[in-house]
Amino acid sequence: MSGAIEYFQFVLAPQMLIGLVVGVAVILVALGLTIIFGLLDVINMSHGEFYALGAFIALALASIGLPFWLLLILVPLVMIPIGYVVERGLIQRVFHTSERHVTTLLLTFGLGLVMEDVFRLIWGPNPYRPETPIAGGVDVFGIFVPSYRLFLIVVGAAIISAVALIIYRTRLGAMVRAAAYDRHMAASLGVPVRHVYAGAFAFGVALAGLAGVLLAPIYSVFPTMGRDFILMAFTVVIVGGMGSIAGAVIAGLFLTQVQAIVSLYISPVWSDPIVFGIMVAMLMVRPQGLFGRLGHG
Amino acid sequence: MLEIQNLHTHYGPSHIIQGIDLTVRDGEVLGVFGRNGVGKTTLLKTVAGWIQPTNGHILFNNEPIDGQQPDRIARRGVGFVPEDRRIFPGLSVEENLTLGFLQVPGRSSADSRAALERIYQRFPRLAERRYQHGTTLSGGEQQMLAMARVMIGKPSLLLVDEPSEGLAPMIVADLFAIIAEMKAAGCAVLLVEQNVHQALAVCDRFIVIERGRIVLSGDAKDKENCDRLLETIAV
Repeated sequence: MSGAIEYFQFVLAPQMLIGLVVGVAVILVALGLTIIFGLLDVINMSHGEFYALGAFIALALASIGLPFWLLLILVPLVMIPIGYVVERGLIQRVFHTSERHVTTLLLTFGLGLVMEDVFRLIWGPNPYRPETPIAGGVDVFGIFVPSYRLFLIVVGAAIISAVALIIYRTRLGAMVRAAAYDRHMAASLGVPVRHVYAGAFAFGVALAGLAGVLLAPIYSVFPTMGRDFILMAFTVVIVGGMGSIAGAVIAGLFLTQVQAIVSLYISPVWSDPIVFGIMVAMLMVRPQGLFGRLGHG
Repeated sequence: MLEIQNLHTHYGPSHIIQGIDLTVRDGEVLGVFGRNGVGKTTLLKTVAGWIQPTNGHILFNNEPIDGQQPDRIARRGVGFVPEDRRIFPGLSVEENLTLGFLQVPGRSSADSRAALERIYQRFPRLAERRYQHGTTLSGGEQQMLAMARVMIGKPSLLLVDEPSEGLAPMIVADLFAIIAEMKAAGCAVLLVEQNVHQALAVCDRFIVIERGRIVLSGDAKDKENCDRLLETIAV
């Protein structure tokens, strides 16, 4: 019995904790992606690069002496107008074409490539590792947890709850859900749908930027950093239900725990194929994902 | 109030509305009749801004609204109850109603609360079900919600498409009573309806559309006119 407890305490629980940190990180990236998909029906292939942009902006602002804590507020605020302009200036231009899905997918894919190259031109190809804002660690039931990772879990949970509250408990959220379901009817009730679209895109992009700031001290900052997370974030969005916030949270936690635990028993190289295999199975069995789309009940 | 001049609307290559002229005055109900697929719904959607006209003008209170986005048209005081009600399934009854209040310029929270209470007094069933999702209501209740959602914003022009479709006679009578109330309050109504007899009871005038054109119009209180209407639309 004591062997089992020790196994849990020293092997399983630390691994699950690592999975939880990755889970929160993935959910933070996936949240913006799922809101943009649920509302605009746009698969934002540049979402990973907006995540990287947040990290690079934080890097630039930190280099002029701004503290990390201020960046957590400042970077999303900088990202909002960027996202708004991208939606109104680029996505809206092709949004009403008959080939909307393909066009917006290719447009955002191209935008992501451009952004990645710009990052490389400005900051070079090498990674930057920002200083961890909270040093040291704490003991949680006998498990050593780095303080910053604990902070990330708490802040991540707070951000996820705040986003869910905004979407499901405010009038603004009701407008977003209504526009996600039926943009014509929402507009005929006075919802300024084009601004709601641009605002939601900007909000999603700001969330990606915030995730970039929060995760930079753990995963470093480099031009292709968006690619690492975006595949997992897409998987979370597909498994959870495209546009569902609850789905993103549950799928994010589940898939990252699968990754963490699989790494213990099978070779870690198998964790990604298993997770992506779950996505493929979900698409075949339940294409709408675990939960429905935003605004669809 | 509403003035439509030489309106043309296309769906791709199909020429649906082919030069319609009409006027609806304050406190007047204009019935729009015709067989299926003649362009009645397209006419309402064009006025509401869901479809852009290819030619002609739509004036509301002497200001052009053709080519404008539906939210701007709604904020000018045009309410639209489409054929399939379009209740938002992810929103509660109260959230559906609150959205309807968005079109009111200069609204405050107190105004919104007062407007909701007014609607709940008129529709006690909706008050009982305010926290339920809109799509869990019965067909009749959903139609009431669709009407209430527009009424809450006190529109000065109401576009209603087939409100009685698939509903029990008692509910239909209630719906026409609501339209009569709105008319009495000075609202202009453009009513598309298959239930001609019941619709004529609230209409002041009517038009009949065939292949995108008005082929008959007249006073709805004139028996001779009504007989001609029934002959024209009889299958």
